[in-house]
Amino acid sequence: MEHQNDDTYLAKWLAGEMPENELHDFKKSSTYADYKFLIDVVDELETPDYNQQKNYSATLNKIAKQQEKPVTKVRTLIPNWAYAAAASVVLFLGYSFFFQETTYNAQLAEQTNFKLPDGSEVLLNAGSEIAFNKFNWDNNRTLDLTGEAYFKVKKGSKFTVITKEGEVAVLGTQFTVNSRNDFYNVTCFEGKVKVTSGKLNHILTPGKAISIQDHIATPYTTIDTIPSWTAQESSFNNVAISQVVTELERQYNITISGKENLQDAYFSGRFSHTNLQQALITIFDTMEIRYTFDANSNVSIQKY
Amino acid sequence: MPDPIKSVCEQRVFEEVFNTYSKTIRNFIYYKCGDSAQAEDLTQDAFVKLWNNCAKVPFEKTKSYLYTLANNAFLNEVAHKKVILKHQKSFTSIATHESPEFIYREKEFKGELDRAIANLTEKQREVFLLNRIENKKYKEIAEMLDISVKAVEKRMHGALVSLRSKIEHFKK
Repeated sequence: MEHQNDDTYLAKWLAGEMPENELHDFKKSSTYADYKFLIDVVDELETPDYNQQKNYSATLNKIAKQQEKPVTKVRTLIPNWAYAAAASVVLFLGYSFFFQETTYNAQLAEQTNFKLPDGSEVLLNAGSEIAFNKFNWDNNRTLDLTGEAYFKVKKGSKFTVITKEGEVAVLGTQFTVNSRNDFYNVTCFEGKVKVTSGKLNHILTPGKAISIQDHIATPYTTIDTIPSWTAQESSFNNVAISQVVTELERQYNITISGKENLQDAYFSGRFSHTNLQQALITIFDTMEIRYTFDANSNVSIQKY
Repeated sequence: MPDPIKSVCEQRVFEEVFNTYSKTIRNFIYYKCGDSAQAEDLTQDAFVKLWNNCAKVPFEKTKSYLYTLANNAFLNEVAHKKVILKHQKSFTSIATHESPEFIYREKEFKGELDRAIANLTEKQREVFLLNRIENKKYKEIAEMLDISVKAVEKRMHGALVSLRSKIEHFKK
């Protein structure tokens, strides 16, 4: 065939740029059917799934992380450079004053409450953290949450809570967000709340909640008018037992051993934050999980 | 009044840029290394760098800046895995003229194709998959990789010849 020495004719063919007469010959050649079939199969291939929202949040987290630790350089003052050095210090202070994030966190077995610059209230549950930018807060009410928090939002511009699992946007309302490893729960107590996670878009009205576990979203209804954990309790609606045990560890600041013995199961119910023994009975006895609890408050899950 | 110049330093614009390019960049890196977690990590790093340099990068240069970053980031990474793509459809839907015997051997063919793609040179594979799967024109690919259109065509051609020669089915 005449293309024998041409090392781009297949590229021309794919781009639809092969001259008519050459195309005619090529279609008659013995290799045409092979290439045509190959391309038909290749064009049906797909790349591994891509979660844009997750990657965007991860990127924002990386940006936030580097802002937490601004690089400071120790400068030796050489007379001629003194002015330059002084100017850079002023710039640096200005930068961190305007752009550095404000962070609040609640340690294990404690809860923290604070007000945002616009007067909106936040109650952070045990082992959780919130970061936001005070500068220009009124126009950009966006904060990052790791863990669980209850928000009472003053009416105003859009208020957005970004978590690893998704985003929640509201105008003025009361709601909780719980975003832990592989678990995401949002409950609305007042107003309207929009939940976005991956491709999911869901609007919650008062008394409605949604939880996402293993990429499966389950909407449900709650009778609570305030989050149970603000009243010394944690409540669960069909939550993986491993998540419940982790929450128990957070609320009592204990480490439970033998978690590898847990079998896949889902727990609905609540446990108290004030009496560990009672809490253990509520969770483990109802789920028929064998455990030991000694005088030093060591909890160990047994094979069952 | 003319529109104010868009700046990537605005989070809204940054997010828009992210939504427009992040998937292609991730796939671009994936075609090179075959590790989607690594590809996503490097993509995020490229956007962090873009954010850090947002004031220096004019909006219209954002795309080529991102591709350059992604390309450079990859040069520093050594780990390579086999590039594996997903077969979405059964061949029966695209190759109705094939004999039942061939359809029966569909799985075998897919395996051979996977291996053949993995065995392309990195340069052939990235060009070939950017064109076939990302639907990028040769001119766009040439700009992304900073090479000539002629070089892109040679790699495309070479990729196809190589794929056909590696698949047993075509040798009969």
